Amino acid sequence: MVGNAPEHPNYNMAIVKAFAVCAVVYFVVGALVGDLIAWQLSFPSLNVNEYLSFGRLRPLHTNAVIFAFGGCTLMATAFYVVQRTCAVPLWSNKMAWFTFIGWNLIIVSAVISFPMGWTSGKEYAELEWPIDIAIAVVWLSYMFNFIMTIANRKVSHIYVANWFFLGMMIMITYLHVVNSLAIPVTMTKSYSLFSGVHDAMIQWWWGHNAVGFFLTAGFLGIMYYFIPKQADLPIFSYRLSVLHFWALMFGYVWLGAHHLQYTALPDWAGSLGAAVSIAMIIPSWGGAVNGLMTLSGAWHKLRDDYVLRFLVVSLAFYAMSTFEGPVMSLKTVNALSHYTDWTIGHVHSGALGWVVMVSVGAIYHLLTRLWKTEIYSVGLVNTHFWIHTIGTVIYICAMWVSGIMQGLMWRATDDYGNLAYTFAESVVAMHPYYVLRSVGGLLVLIGAGIMLYNVVMTIRTAGQPNAAAARA
Amino acid sequence: MAKQDKPQHTPDTGHEWDGIRELTNPPPRWWMIAFHASWIWCVVYFILYPAIPLVHESTKGILGWTQIKEFKEAVAENAVLKAPLLEKVASMDGQELLTDAGMRNFSESSAKAIFGDNCAGCHGAGGEGAPGLFPSLADDDWLFGGDIDTIIESITDGREGNMPAHMDILSKDEVNQLTDTVIALSEGKATPAQFAQFNEIGCANCHGENAEGGAINDLGSGAANLADGIWRFGSSREDIMRTIRYGVNQDQEEVPETRVAIMPAFGGKLSPEAIKMLAVKVHEFGGGK
Repeated sequence: MVGNAPEHPNYNMAIVKAFAVCAVVYFVVGALVGDLIAWQLSFPSLNVNEYLSFGRLRPLHTNAVIFAFGGCTLMATAFYVVQRTCAVPLWSNKMAWFTFIGWNLIIVSAVISFPMGWTSGKEYAELEWPIDIAIAVVWLSYMFNFIMTIANRKVSHIYVANWFFLGMMIMITYLHVVNSLAIPVTMTKSYSLFSGVHDAMIQWWWGHNAVGFFLTAGFLGIMYYFIPKQADLPIFSYRLSVLHFWALMFGYVWLGAHHLQYTALPDWAGSLGAAVSIAMIIPSWGGAVNGLMTLSGAWHKLRDDYVLRFLVVSLAFYAMSTFEGPVMSLKTVNALSHYTDWTIGHVHSGALGWVVMVSVGAIYHLLTRLWKTEIYSVGLVNTHFWIHTIGTVIYICAMWVSGIMQGLMWRATDDYGNLAYTFAESVVAMHPYYVLRSVGGLLVLIGAGIMLYNVVMTIRTAGQPNAAAARA
Repeated sequence: MAKQDKPQHTPDTGHEWDGIRELTNPPPRWWMIAFHASWIWCVVYFILYPAIPLVHESTKGILGWTQIKEFKEAVAENAVLKAPLLEKVASMDGQELLTDAGMRNFSESSAKAIFGDNCAGCHGAGGEGAPGLFPSLADDDWLFGGDIDTIIESITDGREGNMPAHMDILSKDEVNQLTDTVIALSEGKATPAQFAQFNEIGCANCHGENAEGGAINDLGSGAANLADGIWRFGSSREDIMRTIRYGVNQDQEEVPETRVAIMPAFGGKLSPEAIKMLAVKVHEFGGGK
């Protein structure tokens, strides 16, 4: 299939290459920090000093995987997809490189500021105000370039993948700006413009939509291009894509309140969040159904197409975690699951199962197209697939057991109605599952390392005349 | 790969993007039914629960549910079990709680989580303490007394023992000799001369003539029994010498090496009933008197 579509001579593929390589590097870094902090939770003596303590490395991990790895993946794929599906080059190459340099500088500033302890204390928005401003500027450059490229398109309609990318960009812009509004005190310290329960609500309006738009809508955009392209099959249903796109866009923004059940948040906001969360299961599944039905009758392709395997399994995890999340948002379930490891397990079934696998599939696909070569080692891609899948399953199962056990231990009472367990006893009970989680994370990290090696070797050997023969 | 691999031969939308087409299949029937069920679910939920914000307050929902009501009901349900027993705890003193088997069991059950969340951090989950740092509550060696009322007092008001630093009072040789004496006392091998030195320096004023401690415990000094071989701050020669030289709970700016041994007061943090039940648990670790 390689090279059967003639490249448009003016497409800017250099920017896609740069973002794709960065994404793989940040995948390794994010997984490394993530697994380190998992071991720190298992064995607290691994917190050697304040700079490398769990409290400072945890936001580094979340920001590295979401905004460095996830962000670079979204930028690589959106710039690739928008050019190819609009049949025009990027509106501005200079602006694209500004986005690239700016985004990477922001990532470097995060790597410095989190170990230093400079944080606004808002989850997934910990970076301090000067960096928040930089994020807004760089993000707008990304969005503006994307929109102008669409405006210049040579085809009459806009492809569905671009709707999702654009929806994500618009929503993230205002979510980021509003949630980051703050009064600066020094260059490294600011206080939120909001206070009390308003601050909490705005924080989780942002927090859940970082998941809903950044990690869901954006990656559905990836799914909508790379699955039909990799399988060489048409999308199953145009109408389904319209329905679930608009349902997600209108529905997702209401969900944040479900992070604040049984708090000072007014009752109406909590039940609104829970009800709409349940109503989002079917629109979410719309994406999974459309992706999977695209492959119906062509399942045999999964047997030897390693890239398709990543993409399809990602949809299975996506369907699973978009069911699990709404269930957890119901007040009765939330009363058990909230503040436990179940939440961490849920997040990682979405993150490791859905986001990482769809990204990895897309990047392997990009690799062969961008460098016009075969992958260096298909065997290593298969190894990556299995080691990542097993690591993910170990991770999420460990957290399910640990989280539900935690929730049950906290609420257990004896015949007198007294608490049956102390808090410390629940911590002791979690230890084996923390170790198991660290092992699952280690497998994911090893997979990421294998991928980086494979990517580097593919790029290094690309263009060598005997490369294909040597690999065959 | 040929497009006819696809079993559905539904026409496409007539558009093509980079070789990708979209078919005009309707969404699966089950999906459409579930999609409509989703918004119907929202409408039903909004009728049942408080959900829609109005100008001054929100709709109430016909179930009348509020989270504070749910909380209060759960607390009330729990109180049905516990309230009569807690009233009994309030009306009984520590000794009565200990002798009434039912109330002793209830007290220990209630105190389990209280101990785990407030005490175990220093004294260990089973009251075993941490050698040299925090005293064991599970043995019968008490610094301030092991009867139930004294334990209640220790928890309520806290404890802060005191032993003067001898670094400026005694010469190096004298500290050495006194260390020998203390070790000999703990082994029951002290000579009359060593007893004399113990008295002469003034140690006996607090630790007692026979070094069995407790002479002025009523003043809250927490003077240790030096004759039983159980050590609050470690048993090595260096440990003993340090305690003699720098004392216990001296001004840390003047004597930075002083031993620190402070039990915080829980009177303002825990209710008198909780403290009483906690004292029963501590007493029943095995060393209560």
